[in-house]
Amino acid sequence: MSPAPGTVGPESTGRGEWAPRRRRRALLAFLTVLAFGVGFSKSFRRSPPPLFRVSTTGHSEGLSPRRGPGHPSEVEPLLRTGFVSRRHDVAAHAASLVELADGRLRAFWFSGSAEGALDVVILSAVYDPNRGEWSDARTVAEPEGTRRGLWRHVTKLGNPTAIRTADGTLWLFYVTVTVGGWGGSTVTCIRSNDDGETWGPPRRLIGTPFFNLNTLVRAHPFEYTDGTLGLPAYRSLLLGLSETLRVDRRGAVIDKQRISTLGRGSQPAVLPTGPSTALALMRPSGQEPPRRVTLSRTHDAGRRWTRPTRTPLVNPDAAIEGLALPDGRLLAVLNDVEVERDALSLIVSDDTGATWRRVHRLEDQVAERERSFDDDRWAQTVEALARATDDTVTDAMRYVTSSRRFMCWESRCHFDFSYPSLVRTRGGDFHLLYSWNRAYIKHVRFNQAWLDERVEDTRHARAD
Amino acid sequence: MPALTDLNGLAGAAVVIVAALVTAGRAIGLRRSGLALVAGVGAVAALVPIGALPLAGLLRGVVGDLSLTTLVLLLVGLRRHLRAEEPVDNRSMFALQCLLAVGGLALYSLALGLGTWDPYRLGYGDPWFLAALLAVALTALAFDLPLVTFGLAVGVLAWALETYESRNLWDYLLDPLVFAWAFSSLMLRGAGALVRGHGRATETLLRMRAGSSS
Repeated sequence: MSPAPGTVGPESTGRGEWAPRRRRRALLAFLTVLAFGVGFSKSFRRSPPPLFRVSTTGHSEGLSPRRGPGHPSEVEPLLRTGFVSRRHDVAAHAASLVELADGRLRAFWFSGSAEGALDVVILSAVYDPNRGEWSDARTVAEPEGTRRGLWRHVTKLGNPTAIRTADGTLWLFYVTVTVGGWGGSTVTCIRSNDDGETWGPPRRLIGTPFFNLNTLVRAHPFEYTDGTLGLPAYRSLLLGLSETLRVDRRGAVIDKQRISTLGRGSQPAVLPTGPSTALALMRPSGQEPPRRVTLSRTHDAGRRWTRPTRTPLVNPDAAIEGLALPDGRLLAVLNDVEVERDALSLIVSDDTGATWRRVHRLEDQVAERERSFDDDRWAQTVEALARATDDTVTDAMRYVTSSRRFMCWESRCHFDFSYPSLVRTRGGDFHLLYSWNRAYIKHVRFNQAWLDERVEDTRHARAD
Repeated sequence: MPALTDLNGLAGAAVVIVAALVTAGRAIGLRRSGLALVAGVGAVAALVPIGALPLAGLLRGVVGDLSLTTLVLLLVGLRRHLRAEEPVDNRSMFALQCLLAVGGLALYSLALGLGTWDPYRLGYGDPWFLAALLAVALTALAFDLPLVTFGLAVGVLAWALETYESRNLWDYLLDPLVFAWAFSSLMLRGAGALVRGHGRATETLLRMRAGSSS
């Protein structure tokens, strides 16, 4: 066979070119041995698969328990509500909460003129449980700083999620988009060694091979025993799927595992229940109504996940949050309605997720939705809800106008209470944040006594 | 000051910009000296910050860090244009295109959600994946396909030294741009072969008809 014109093949090489050709092959062989030698060395240095670091307090780790006899949270049932965000006429959504070293809590959420707008930034505020007050919100990440830090183009920001790890590092992961909508998302992380007062440079996480597009985050990360993090992630394109990314201490993805396949659940909330066991609750993206939360389990610390199954839990395709409690019960928050996000409930499972029961309806505007729409009544309801949420609200009408901006379409106005974030502090108190009409972040604080009371009440109600 | 991984990523994006400019320069008939000037100016323009980011940063935001395979191919092409060197061995190029096309089809379809298995996970240092790549590299060496061996070796070395943000070997070997190029090149080759085959068949048929009528 003769080589094609203009090409250099083995047959076209003259006798005088044999020496350089052999040298070239020898060099290539040397390069191959060197490259694969270093490669195998790196491969065999990989740490063995770790176990879950089981949290006794929810999502916050690295903090010594502060619970003791006489702590107020163990005496009287407590349920308090308030608003985290006080800015009007801006979108506020997708809050995430962590407990800090000194017992305060830090919240993150995104805010801007609208979800997906170019002016969306990640805001943060700190809650002092002793004073019961939130600090003013300040910006911790915005597109321009992210662009400069990543040395690449970024147009807009989305969901944040945070964790404080055993070594005291506060991690914030947030969605960044370069082109298009959420389908073009990637994840960026920043770290803080002083509980969020200052932040290091951003780092891009590489989650997919296709231009690294379409990886989003929402639910809290979790820790492994070797100090690496598990980051629940999902895809929004097509029917959506769930996976976990394992992130090392430098913020690089070093492994991943798929939890669900397309259409079998996205936006996972991963609840480690033991060193090697966990369950993932997923929103029913891609399902036709009636939609149900899907659930997957792992028995080998996330190396394999069971095929997701449909639970009886109703959900309109909205975010779910959950915690595994030290006593073995599971606590979750979700919109337990078929459509819209106008009801939000706290649910409990005593049998590691096999069955669930609602212990409290945090929000419920289903009846309002089912009535014929009346704008005045909707406005009065929003006003009343704002006052009921926070007794320091003096300008409730501003809550109405802000809500109207995001909640009115197709000739009627709606309600939206969604994207919960739940933590249990060392003191045993629970703190829950969620979006309130996409314009504010609402804070609900309750204690173990209140939860136990609700669980007992609902158990009796069921027995009756 | 950008991190080393960022510098590498920006340099890769700059190579793409330079290659595009040189290709455009060739299309309008620039000579080698003109192409060299275009390449030099292009490299500077790609890396000098305009506002917050250099042009290479804008491109990097969209396409990410380019695989070493892409960079090797672009640099080989640039060198050929600027120094009027011989084109790359046709067999070697064909073999590389086949590997990229098959690898890309398998990786992207499965990693984007088709099925339950995600081959992207192999790239996080799976020794069997490395062993398979070594077998391919050695086979290519034995069959004198230097571009394949070189591409694999450089990719694996760059991955082992963590020259990019990614810790996944696939990202050093393959990217959607080089996959699209390889796949479309093979399609064009196939279409060309079909057309040529059809032409030869028609010619034979006509000859046979001419023979039978005479």
